[in-house]
Amino acid sequence: MAEPFIRIESLVKAYQRDTQSLTVLTGLNLAVDEGEFIALMGPSGSGKTTLLNLIAGIDRPTSGRIVVGGLEIHGMGEAALAKWRSRNIGFIFQLYNLVPVLTAFENVELPLLLTDLSRARRRKQVELALSIVGLADRMDHYPRQLSGGQEQRVAIARAFATDPKLLVADEPTGDLDSKSAEEILVLLERLNNEFGKTIVMVTHDPRAAARAHRLVHLDKGVLKEDIRASAGQKEVGMAAAIAAAAGTELPG
Amino acid sequence: MKFLPLVLKNVFRKKTRTALTVVSIVLPLLVINLMGTFLRALDRPDPGATRGMFRTVTRHKVSLGNPLPVAYFEKIRQLPGVVAATKFTWFGGKYVDQSAKNFFPRFAVEPETFLQVFDDAKILAGSTEEWLADRTGAVVGENLVKKFGWKLGDKIVLVGDIFPVTLELTIRGIYQLPDGNASSVFFNRKYLEEALPSVAGQVGTVWVKAADGPAAERLTREIDTLFENASAPTKTESEKAFQMGFVQMLGNVKLLINGIATIIVFVIFLIAANTMSMAARERVTEVAVLRALGFGKPAILGMVLAESLVLALIGGGLGILLFVLAEPALKAGLMASPMSGFAASFDLFPEVLAMGLFITISVGVVAGVVPAVQSARRSIVDGLRRVV
Repeated sequence: MAEPFIRIESLVKAYQRDTQSLTVLTGLNLAVDEGEFIALMGPSGSGKTTLLNLIAGIDRPTSGRIVVGGLEIHGMGEAALAKWRSRNIGFIFQLYNLVPVLTAFENVELPLLLTDLSRARRRKQVELALSIVGLADRMDHYPRQLSGGQEQRVAIARAFATDPKLLVADEPTGDLDSKSAEEILVLLERLNNEFGKTIVMVTHDPRAAARAHRLVHLDKGVLKEDIRASAGQKEVGMAAAIAAAAGTELPG
Repeated sequence: MKFLPLVLKNVFRKKTRTALTVVSIVLPLLVINLMGTFLRALDRPDPGATRGMFRTVTRHKVSLGNPLPVAYFEKIRQLPGVVAATKFTWFGGKYVDQSAKNFFPRFAVEPETFLQVFDDAKILAGSTEEWLADRTGAVVGENLVKKFGWKLGDKIVLVGDIFPVTLELTIRGIYQLPDGNASSVFFNRKYLEEALPSVAGQVGTVWVKAADGPAAERLTREIDTLFENASAPTKTESEKAFQMGFVQMLGNVKLLINGIATIIVFVIFLIAANTMSMAARERVTEVAVLRALGFGKPAILGMVLAESLVLALIGGGLGILLFVLAEPALKAGLMASPMSGFAASFDLFPEVLAMGLFITISVGVVAGVVPAVQSARRSIVDGLRRVV
């Protein structure tokens, strides 16, 4: 059996707040295959964003193992982790988090500045990324000149500009209207299907989760459900699972 | 260098704040350069000596207010190494009124010997012959002519205070010294002696033109030794040291200037540090995003420090540039003031400008270091959680 792309074993994350210790993740185990698109769901405080941060290497576990792409990232030093992130992880945030003083082009170029690519090569890559997200004509626009959906598309272009294998998205549609959210989800699906990106997405939105191949439901730091959509029935299967997990009726 | 565009964009992110911070660095740097130049000018070698005019000044050891017996003049004149000597007597008094704007040094001198000691003086208008021929004649500095609009033949009325006489002088010559110091009025002491015969037996200072540097140095000691046990002991010093004495009458000028400059530098540090702290605080999430993207701590540290440095360099550079541009006007202003003797040394000193640049860079580094370290050290997760 092939080694999963992400392997998490006995993961514990506890925060110390003054004298109190708060355990957010309690001995979690999870395996994600390369090219999977998984949605992490669960109520607030269930540990989904903490799990996402740990997988992305921006937080450190209290104990347990995290292996991504064959590399044990839980024991890596800060500088090594930063370097690893720059090559292997693309981030998509709920509030886009673009640098307001930089144009769309410059924002997408940011992670490429950490590579050895020449200026011309960087330009090519940025133009390609922006054309994939449909914003080739907005390269010189500043974030304030873009709509929320366009900003998120720029953020997605920034996330995959360095061609990382793993994209992590924290509520990528959480701040968008339904039309823009749909566009973003289509884009994420495309990145998964066409470009083979592994995507781990935290979401509260059942429609967003319905696009994933797999739903991981967390509650109080424990993996409660892990539902995989069967081939050919992905949408129906996932949607039903999500509705069940969320305790709601499917919209539409 | 790849991050420079981002650094520059961050510097001008809040234009009003950046402009105010830059101005708050420009002005102090201007003042610091001014003070540094002032201090450096105080320590500058005798400008007279550097151009071959090795002049010394002898006065009463107790104070300038105490006159010397006129007999000292002859004794000094005969010392080896003395090329020429002349008598100066400070007249004081008032011109028009006692206001500072109408103040200028006025001396009763012996025209013949005066011209020998100050043989580097250039008569721009009129002539020494006309001055020598007119007992009420005076030569006036070019700076005073510009200031008061005087011309040859004009009358200057000086009302005495130390000497209770009123003198009406006629301008017979306009002079200029090579160092630009030309802000005094010199008139014939015989005119004063006629009006006040008691003046004839005394002299304020004796000025000597020495043969060379070593002779000037030797004479400062020899003259004082000569009159060591006399009723009026003397103090002899170089022309420069004598002129600096007036500046130092203001008190411990150097200490005062250094004290003010230190406070100014400290205030700039605080202003720049405050700006950088605000800038860093506003960008906590942004820095967290950059770090999530893979920017390491050294990169973040470098970018915040560079931003601080650029801000300081814009302000400090402008301050230094403004001083360089304003220096000729400042010097001209000093020339026309009672500090004209000092003004000749008030030049642009590379070491002062370098000190300004050093302070600028220090401000940039010191102001940026704390926000830079804080930005680099803050946890990414905490930064992303922060809602600004």
